[in-house]
Amino acid sequence: MTNPVTHDRRHFEDLAVGEVITLGQTRVTKAMIIAFATEFDPFPFHLDEAAAKASLLGGLASSGWQTGALSLRLLVDAFLSKIASAGGLGFSDLKWKNPVMVDDTIGGTVTIVDLRRSAGHPQWGIVTLDFDVRNQKGAPVLTMRLANLVDTRNPGAPA
Amino acid sequence: MTRWFEDIVLGEVYPLGSHTFDADEIVRFATLYDPQYFHLDAEAARHSHFGGLVASGWHTVSVGHRLMVDTLFAEEERLRAMGLEPGVSGPSPGVNSMDFKVPVRPGDTVSFELVVTDKRASNSIPGWGLLFNRLTALNQRGELVYRADLVGFSKRRDYTMPFKLRLLQALGTIPLLGPLLKRRA
Repeated sequence: MTNPVTHDRRHFEDLAVGEVITLGQTRVTKAMIIAFATEFDPFPFHLDEAAAKASLLGGLASSGWQTGALSLRLLVDAFLSKIASAGGLGFSDLKWKNPVMVDDTIGGTVTIVDLRRSAGHPQWGIVTLDFDVRNQKGAPVLTMRLANLVDTRNPGAPA
Repeated sequence: MTRWFEDIVLGEVYPLGSHTFDADEIVRFATLYDPQYFHLDAEAARHSHFGGLVASGWHTVSVGHRLMVDTLFAEEERLRAMGLEPGVSGPSPGVNSMDFKVPVRPGDTVSFELVVTDKRASNSIPGWGLLFNRLTALNQRGELVYRADLVGFSKRRDYTMPFKLRLLQALGTIPLLGPLLKRRA
């Protein structure tokens, strides 16, 4: 039953509330913004500089969904690819605090705020993670609370 | 919404259309944004509890958003064709909740629909309203793929700016004084 992909990784029992994960950084280029917006969010204010200037965003900025996806990517690289992750359950209280403009660099931290065993599935625990993603000026761009499944090492142990 | 804030009916269901996911696009999205093995590698994914490749939840959500944008644009064109001026939708301040239920596998067709559950005038941005939207995604078997409670901005047609704000805006266009006022605001 061991999963050869994840058996060497940290499991639920190895995680602790309060652990702070430092994310890497990613620079958001105009090409990245336009590629994502073309496929998933083709509002003129994500595609065209003039339209963006006239909008509430005040300039060409990434789709909020792209900012979220890039934040997730940073978490995968720093954390989720190093634990026995079994997939995301969802998230809550996502707030786009400031737009991510062309050539902004985003990074930040993610904190483990809760750990609990799944009631119905002894093989899983649920890790709850708070994102604090900021731009190069230290201004907040995104916060959210993500819930992710993690394999337990000992499903037979009392929850 | 491409309708004006005032014209949006609470509880009305807007079908947004559907999308069939193939393995290539699932892997392409995951490579850029969610490179976990069960989104990336069909062979390795067999060892996961999914038993095979599944789409990143963020991918499914992005596709749902695209279909919503397409629906708004189509509605805008329809209104213009009728000689009506469409409303204006703005960027979203956030998402209250997003629950992923059943994974999306290659070949699955997911249908999306939107219901506006509530609306109110924005406190922070004059002339705009907030819409509370529930987005539901179902697969071809009718199983719930995800459910999201989204918030969006929508422009108010019947809004007149209070005198104080109009004065501030006019003063803001004066050189030197304008930037100073903006900094203080």
